[in-house]
Amino acid sequence: MARVSEASSFHAIQHAVNKTKSRLEDLQIKGSTLKRVQKPSDDPVGNIDILSIRSKNIDGKQYERNASVAKAQLTFTENAISELTDVLNKAKEIAVAQASNLFDVNIRRGVAKEVEQLKNQAVSIANRRMGNKYIFAGHKSLTKPFNEAGEYLGDSNQTKIEVQKDYFVPISFNGKDIFYEKEGLPLPDGDPLAGSPLADFNKKVKIDGDQVEIDESLNTPVNESENSNQENFNRTPATEAERAPELGPARTSVFSDLQKLHDALITDNHEIIQDLLPKLDKAVDRLIESRAKIGSILNTVDSAVESVQKQHLLNEEYRTQIEDADLAELFTDLTRQKNVLDATYKASAQLMNKNLMDYIN
Amino acid sequence: MAADLFSIGRSSLRTSKKSLATTSHNIANANNEGFSRQVVTHEVNTPIQSGKNVYGTGVNVKTVKRAHDTLLEKKLNHSLAGHQYNEERTFQLGRVEEVFNEINSDGMNKILNRFFNSFRELSNQPENETVRSVVRDNANLVIRDFQRISGSITDVKSQIEAKVEYAVNDINSQAQAIANLNKEISRLENMGGETGDLRDQRDAAVRAISELAPVNAFEDNKGQYVVNLVGVGSVVAGGMINELQAGAISNDNVGSYKDEGRVEIFYKNKPDTPITGSIKGGKIGALIQTRNEEIKVLRDQLDEMAHGLVHTTNAIHRRGYVNKELPVDQNGNVVAHPSLGKITGINFFKEPLDFERASEMIDLSDDVKEDLNNISTGLAPNSPGDNRIAVAISKLQHEKVLGGGNKTLEESYLSAVGKIGLAVSKSKVNFEQSGGILAQAKSLKERLSGVSIDEETTNMVKYQHAYNASAKMIKAADEMFDSVLGMMR
Repeated sequence: MARVSEASSFHAIQHAVNKTKSRLEDLQIKGSTLKRVQKPSDDPVGNIDILSIRSKNIDGKQYERNASVAKAQLTFTENAISELTDVLNKAKEIAVAQASNLFDVNIRRGVAKEVEQLKNQAVSIANRRMGNKYIFAGHKSLTKPFNEAGEYLGDSNQTKIEVQKDYFVPISFNGKDIFYEKEGLPLPDGDPLAGSPLADFNKKVKIDGDQVEIDESLNTPVNESENSNQENFNRTPATEAERAPELGPARTSVFSDLQKLHDALITDNHEIIQDLLPKLDKAVDRLIESRAKIGSILNTVDSAVESVQKQHLLNEEYRTQIEDADLAELFTDLTRQKNVLDATYKASAQLMNKNLMDYIN
Repeated sequence: MAADLFSIGRSSLRTSKKSLATTSHNIANANNEGFSRQVVTHEVNTPIQSGKNVYGTGVNVKTVKRAHDTLLEKKLNHSLAGHQYNEERTFQLGRVEEVFNEINSDGMNKILNRFFNSFRELSNQPENETVRSVVRDNANLVIRDFQRISGSITDVKSQIEAKVEYAVNDINSQAQAIANLNKEISRLENMGGETGDLRDQRDAAVRAISELAPVNAFEDNKGQYVVNLVGVGSVVAGGMINELQAGAISNDNVGSYKDEGRVEIFYKNKPDTPITGSIKGGKIGALIQTRNEEIKVLRDQLDEMAHGLVHTTNAIHRRGYVNKELPVDQNGNVVAHPSLGKITGINFFKEPLDFERASEMIDLSDDVKEDLNNISTGLAPNSPGDNRIAVAISKLQHEKVLGGGNKTLEESYLSAVGKIGLAVSKSKVNFEQSGGILAQAKSLKERLSGVSIDEETTNMVKYQHAYNASAKMIKAADEMFDSVLGMMR
C-alpha cells in the first residue's frame, strides 16, 4: 500500500487539474479563432503549406491583374487595328474605283483629298495612346511612333507580361510589324514565351555560396549595337540594324501606300494605282491576320485566368483544410474536456476535504 | 522502588513530549516544499539487574531521523534537470518562433512576395511613376522585416546570455550554501546533534543547482556532499567550492563575428578553458543549445537570404538603364555625360554587402533612395516601355538562387520557419513528457518524505495517550509514596 502524504496528493491534484485546463485552454483558443494552426509549431509542415499557398494566392491575384492589363491593352490594340482595316478598305475601294483611266483629273484630285484624309486618319490611329503610352511604339512607348510622313520612330520590341506562372504573352505590337510590309518579317509570335526570361540572365548571375559572379562589363554604358545582342532576351524580331541590308530602306508601309495612292491620283497615273491594289490587299490581309493573332492571344489570356482562378480555388480548399479548425470535432472535444475538468474537480474535492482531524474531538 | 517509577515516568513523559514536538514540527511543515518528515525512534533504557530480577528503566529517544531516500533524491534531481531543460528550451524556442509566426500577421514570406509582385506590377506599366514608388516602398518593407527578424533574434540571444550569467551566479551561491551546510552538518553530527532540517536545506540547494545544470551529488565518508556538474567537474567538495564564471571570452581566435563577445562559462581560475558546451542539461544546457544551434543557424540562413536577394536583384538591375530621356549621337548610341549621373549599372540595393550581417545591414542603394527614376525597368536606354528588367527581377521569386542553386528565397525562408516550428513542437512534446516524469519523481519522493496529516494525527493521539498514561503512572507512584509516608506516622 502506498503511503499518501499531503504533498503527494496535492501534487497529483495539481497535475491533473493543470493538464486538463491547459488542454481546455488550447481548445478555447482554437474555438475563438476557428483556426487550427496558431503558431508554426502547431503543425510545422502544415504551416509551411499555408504560407506557400498564401504566396501562391497573392501571385495568382497579381497574374489576374496582369491578365486584365493584357486584355485591356490587347483589346485596345485590336480596336485600333480594326479601325485601320476600315481605313484601308476604304482606300482599297477608292483604288479599285480609280484603277481605270476613265476618270477626270479634277475628280481624281477630289478623291486624292479623301485619300489624304484617310492617310492622316491612319497616322492618328498608329499614334494612338492608351493612357500616356503609345501602343505601337515598341519599347519607346513615350515617343510618338509615327511622324506626319508616316516614318516609324519607335523600336522593334514587344512587351510581354506574365499572366500565369512562367507563361508570358505579348501585349504590344510595334508599329513596324503592323504597318510595314510583311516580306521576310514574321508577325510577332502569338505563342506565349516558354521558359523563364531569367534564362539569359542566369549566365550572368550565378550565386555560388558566398560568391556572386556577375559580368561586370555590363556595368558600363553600352551602345545600341552592343545592346542588340541582348535583344533575344524577349525573343523580339531582329533589330532594325540587322534587318536593313536584306530589305533595303525602301520598305513600304501602309502610310507610304496611301501616300502613293494619293500621289498617283494627283498625277493621274492609273498604272501605279493598279500596282497598289495587291499591296493594299496584302496590307488588309496582314491586319486581319494580326487581329486573329490578338484574338488568339486574348483567348490564351482568358484560359490562363481561368486556370489561375481554378488553382486559387483548389489552393484555398487545401489551405482551409490545414488552417481552419474542424468545428464539429472542436466542440465535441471542448465538451469532453469540460466534463473531464468537472470530474477532476469533483474527485479532488473528495480528497481535499477529508482528514482524520474531522473525526477527533 | 517508587523512585524508579518516577524516573521511568519521567523518561516516558520526556520521550512522549519530544515525539509530540516532532509531530507538531511535521504538521507545521506539512506544506513546506522540500521538507522531509521526521521520525522519532525510541529506545529502551539500559535495564538494571538487582538480584534475580531485571528492572526496566524506561525509554529514551534514540534518534530523530528524516524519512529520506538517496536514490529517490537522485532521480528527482535528474528529472528536474531534464524538465527545466525542456521548459527553458520550449520558452526560448517559442520566442524565436514568435518572430517567424505569420499566421495572423504579415511576415517575411508575405512581404517578400509583395516585393516581387510589385515588380510584376511594374512590368505591366513600366512608365508609371506611382508603381515605381510602390516598388520602393515594398523594398523598404523587405529591408525592415529583415532587420526586424535579425534584431529580434539578436535580442533573444543577448537575453539568453544574460540569463546564463545569472544562472552561473546562482550556481555559485548555491554551491557556497552547500559548502557551509557541509561544515555545519559535520560539526553537529560529531556532537550527536539533529541535522534533519539542515540536510533538507542542503538537498534543496542541490536541487536548485539541478534546475540549472545536471549534477551528481554524493556523500563522502564524513557525511559531506561532493557536488559535480555532469560532464564538467566538481563545484563543491566538503567545505570548498570551485567557483564558476560566465562572461565574454577573451580568446582572440573567435570563429566569426557572431562569436565576438560571446558569453562562455568557465572556472574562475581557468578563464581560458570554456566549459560551456559540456553542460548538456538543465536551464543552462537549454539556453546554450538554443543559442549555439537554432539561433546561429537561423542567422546564417537569414544572412544568406538577404545576401542572395541583394546580389541577384542588383546583378539584374545593373544591366538596366535609368528611366530618363538620354541624349544620343547620330548612330543612335547613348552619349554618356557626367551631368547625367549614372545611366546604367545602378544597384537597387546598397553594395557592398558582406555575407556576414547581411540581414542587419541590408539597405536600398543611395541612387534608388534619391530618385525613383533610378529604378531600372528597361534593358535598353530610352525605352520607357521596356519591362524586361522588371520581369526578370519578378522572376527571381521562382528562381533557385540560394544554396548553390537548390532553393528559392521563399523555399529557404520556409525551411527556416519549418525547422523552428519542428524544434518547438518537439520540445513541447518533450516538455510535457518530462513534466510527467518529474511529477512522478516528486510524488515518489513525497510519498516517502512528505507529511501525512492523518498519520501525524494518529501519532499525536498515540503520544498524547502515552503522555497521559505516564502522568497517571507518576500520580500512582506519588500515591504509593504517600501510602508509605503515611505508614511512618
